[in-house]
Amino acid sequence: MNLQRLYIFLIALVIFTSCEDIIEIDLNTANPKVVIEGDISNISSAQTIRVSRTVAFTATINSEPIDNASVQVRDQSGRNYVFSYVGNGNYQNNNFMPTANNTYNLTVAIDDELFEASSRMYDYVDIDSIGLVEENLFGTDYYFINLKFTDPINQANYYKYNLSVNGKPFQFSTVFNDKFNDGLNVTHQITNANNDLALGDSVIIRRQIIDQNVYKYWSDLQSINPGSAAPANPKSNISNGALGYFSVSSAKEFGLTIFGL
Amino acid sequence: MTKYFLVAYFFLISAATYSQEKIILSGFVKDAGSGESLIGALIQQEGTNNATSSNSYGFFSLTLTNPNAKVSFSFIGYETQVQDLKLTKNSRITVELKAKSNEIDEVVITGNQKNGNVTSPQMGRVNFTMEEIANVPVVFGEKDILKTIQLLPGVASGGEGTSNFYVRGGGSDQNLILLDEATVYNAAHLLGFFSTFNSDAIKDVTLYKGGIPAQYGGRISSVLDISMLDGNNKEFGVEGGLGLIASRLKVEGPIVKDKSSFMLSGRRTYADLFLKLSNDEKVNSSKLYFYDLNAKANYKFNDRNTLYVSGYFGKDDLSYSDLFSFDWGNATATARWNHIVNDKLFSNTSLIYSDFSYNVNVNSDDTDFTIASKIRNFNFKEDFAYYATPVSTFRFGLNVLHQKISPASIDSGDDSNVNSISVDSRQGLEAAAYISHDWKPLPRLGVIYGLRLTNFSVLGPGTFYQFDQDGEVRDQNNYGSEIVKNYLYLEPRLSLSYQISDQSSVKTSFNRIVQNLHQLTNTTSSLPTDQYVVSSENIKPQIADQVAIGYFRNFANNTYEFSMEAYYKSMHNQIDFRNGADLQANAYLEGELLYGIGRSYGLEWYFKKQRGRLTGWLSYTLAKSERQFDQINEGEWFNARQDRTHDISLVGIYDLSKKWTLGATFVYNTGNAVTFPSGKYVVDGRTTYYYTERNGYRMPDYHRLDLSATYDRKLKNKKFSSSWTFGVYNAYFRKNAYIIDFRESEDNPNVTEAYKVALFGIIPSVTWNFRF
Repeated sequence: MNLQRLYIFLIALVIFTSCEDIIEIDLNTANPKVVIEGDISNISSAQTIRVSRTVAFTATINSEPIDNASVQVRDQSGRNYVFSYVGNGNYQNNNFMPTANNTYNLTVAIDDELFEASSRMYDYVDIDSIGLVEENLFGTDYYFINLKFTDPINQANYYKYNLSVNGKPFQFSTVFNDKFNDGLNVTHQITNANNDLALGDSVIIRRQIIDQNVYKYWSDLQSINPGSAAPANPKSNISNGALGYFSVSSAKEFGLTIFGL
Repeated sequence: MTKYFLVAYFFLISAATYSQEKIILSGFVKDAGSGESLIGALIQQEGTNNATSSNSYGFFSLTLTNPNAKVSFSFIGYETQVQDLKLTKNSRITVELKAKSNEIDEVVITGNQKNGNVTSPQMGRVNFTMEEIANVPVVFGEKDILKTIQLLPGVASGGEGTSNFYVRGGGSDQNLILLDEATVYNAAHLLGFFSTFNSDAIKDVTLYKGGIPAQYGGRISSVLDISMLDGNNKEFGVEGGLGLIASRLKVEGPIVKDKSSFMLSGRRTYADLFLKLSNDEKVNSSKLYFYDLNAKANYKFNDRNTLYVSGYFGKDDLSYSDLFSFDWGNATATARWNHIVNDKLFSNTSLIYSDFSYNVNVNSDDTDFTIASKIRNFNFKEDFAYYATPVSTFRFGLNVLHQKISPASIDSGDDSNVNSISVDSRQGLEAAAYISHDWKPLPRLGVIYGLRLTNFSVLGPGTFYQFDQDGEVRDQNNYGSEIVKNYLYLEPRLSLSYQISDQSSVKTSFNRIVQNLHQLTNTTSSLPTDQYVVSSENIKPQIADQVAIGYFRNFANNTYEFSMEAYYKSMHNQIDFRNGADLQANAYLEGELLYGIGRSYGLEWYFKKQRGRLTGWLSYTLAKSERQFDQINEGEWFNARQDRTHDISLVGIYDLSKKWTLGATFVYNTGNAVTFPSGKYVVDGRTTYYYTERNGYRMPDYHRLDLSATYDRKLKNKKFSSSWTFGVYNAYFRKNAYIIDFRESEDNPNVTEAYKVALFGIIPSVTWNFRF
């Protein structure tokens, strides 16, 4: 549905002799910013929230853990879940099973700074089938995982997919809304971020039903491409200028192996 | 307002009838070989400063101070003709000038026409004919006016190989591009690598980047006024070319000799023919091409009435198997009636239509839908030129433009897994009236002053929304077929020149221009799918005020032209987007927009060698262009993307022999302002970039050398002639960065690297042109 991405993809057709080089760019280093990554779901009752800081572009780590934060989530009936530090910026609570149709509030305190966010958990939307498709585009085989389901009518639904390939950590894949297909039989076509699923790969897909603000965050992030006129930080649902997001979702995981078709 | 114009009109007509003591010479200046009217030819009473120039239909009117005057007619590249006239009454003549034979050691005829750049009060204007740019090398060997104007001072290229351009720091949607008076909405083919203007069909190009005269309005940064050829009214001719990318064919000739002629010109690319070679069924049934058709015909009823009809149609077609197709294109049609009311009053009435549309078809297993979008306008123009005295010309007229935008709507099949969505169309009516006076109160002092009154009416029917600070809908109103909102603006225009000597002058100008059509682009290159919007309750008209001063100096009998101009432009109601704005089929689109201001200023140097074996120019622009939006960059001023501190172009054309002509172009410019990250972090296992300042970084400097060589093969006493043009684009293989992006290193995902993509290596080209 994203025409611009399709169009940019088609540019590849007319590039005759394009070439790619690694270059050195002198980038400024901004003051470190707090990053909060809170992805809570009902897949298990063990939940992790990561708190870190941004690092210089040239750093050989991709973030700097914060170990002195106080992290809590409160549900709408007032029940409080305290997260305790387990290392590498991760805070854990092993006895927190969220339930749908609840709003959860996050507070993270670091020194004397306070960051807050809230997220609503919605009912899970079951899928009808999951399958594999192989498409040959300009001579290369690409594999996609197709999830078919019926979108609940007359309500805005937002879907997020993360993928783990061959036992590696889950990575963001894509988000969808139902702006163009509310209430219809919908197929979501999923691949990993690098679009390089190969024969024999063992894949776990995590499908999450997210709220609008979380969708907005990921939609902003996935719309940044080299053709963007002005890339910017995605709009976070966390207060006080923190980067990252806080999401509580209904989720399910599916495993499959890429096989020849 | 119309009342005043009628009064002015009758005043001028009566003034015309009372000033009969002096003899008025009027008529047309044409090419002797083809009968094409010559635009901007100089008509001068010998031994005096009494002179005028022909208008865009070749018409002139000159009041003689002496009935036994000698009058000279001259035009660059043509032999000057002097007529010894003994007139007893007002007379109308048609003068046919002969093109100079193309000999390199000819004696150059000097005349006043060569210093028009010094004597005219007009500044910020560049005019050229297709012959002048024929030998400027360009990518793929296709001569292209939009790429040639990018080599002028104050005009910046929109990017590698693209026909997009920016004038004096303005946006690419702030250029009014006219083809025979019809607005061309999208002047790019094939991702911008080609412009929609087939140079075979073009006669004359004029670019105004400042001091824009009152007869133009609607875009705040520039006017590019392109005229199509009328067609040879003396004999039939065929002209064409075969290139690596495209082929062209033009046919022209008389319908009724000396009275009526036609011109028909077509061009098509054949990159898609290579796709046919593929073994892959999906690839060899894919399409990737564009074509253009230009057509024009005219009929001269009598000395006083001529009718012109012209049109353009072009389309790009891109498809992948039968799964996906995407086509887009412009169409224009212009009907014009030239009427000579009397020896001093010339009128032109135009009826104009133009549109731009695109269509997307997706047709896979269970997804089938069509997206269609269109913008179109009907335009009525009535223009008068009144040649009151040799030192005073009035221009006035009316213009009524109705524009309708049908934004992208989705139409899907019954069992498609996509819903149909339709978004309200929007309509606007722009009515404008102008008057402009071109006056030389003193021999050394020239002035063009004018006023344009523009009223823009936002028209229903439709649902219009109001938004709060965060872009959420606050209120909505349904309107029927009525006026929703009116915007009335007065646009003063002024150009002033003082001639220091025959060879030098100083000039200054001011213009205010209002723009009611806006293109929403959130990518670095403008795409055919970019949404257009008209001014509304939320979107205020864009306004630009520009002041400029300049010094103009010619040397060595006008062989060399030099000019220096400084400008300052302030822009209001500029448009940008909220982060992650949703611009697709969005009824609440206006809630995604942000409004701010802009300013740009700069210095432009232009040094041109007009004649001799070596011709060409050097242009240098030192400039700044900035924007300020309360919600962007914490409200601080930031560089516009097209802000380029230095921009240099060097063009040289050398006549090596009677057969060989060499051309070279060198360009250098500071890289675009871009947003790069100032840090990184990780979310969901993915390295993510932290951005701080908008457009706070620069792309690397851009430079490139292009070369061309043309071999002209003329056979004696044969009508058939042909030429070969060989070109090399990017001759020293500079890998200019087209895109800079960032990624995790393959060796260590914690390490991040920057990489650049260069679009073109060395691109050779060869084109064979013929004519008979």
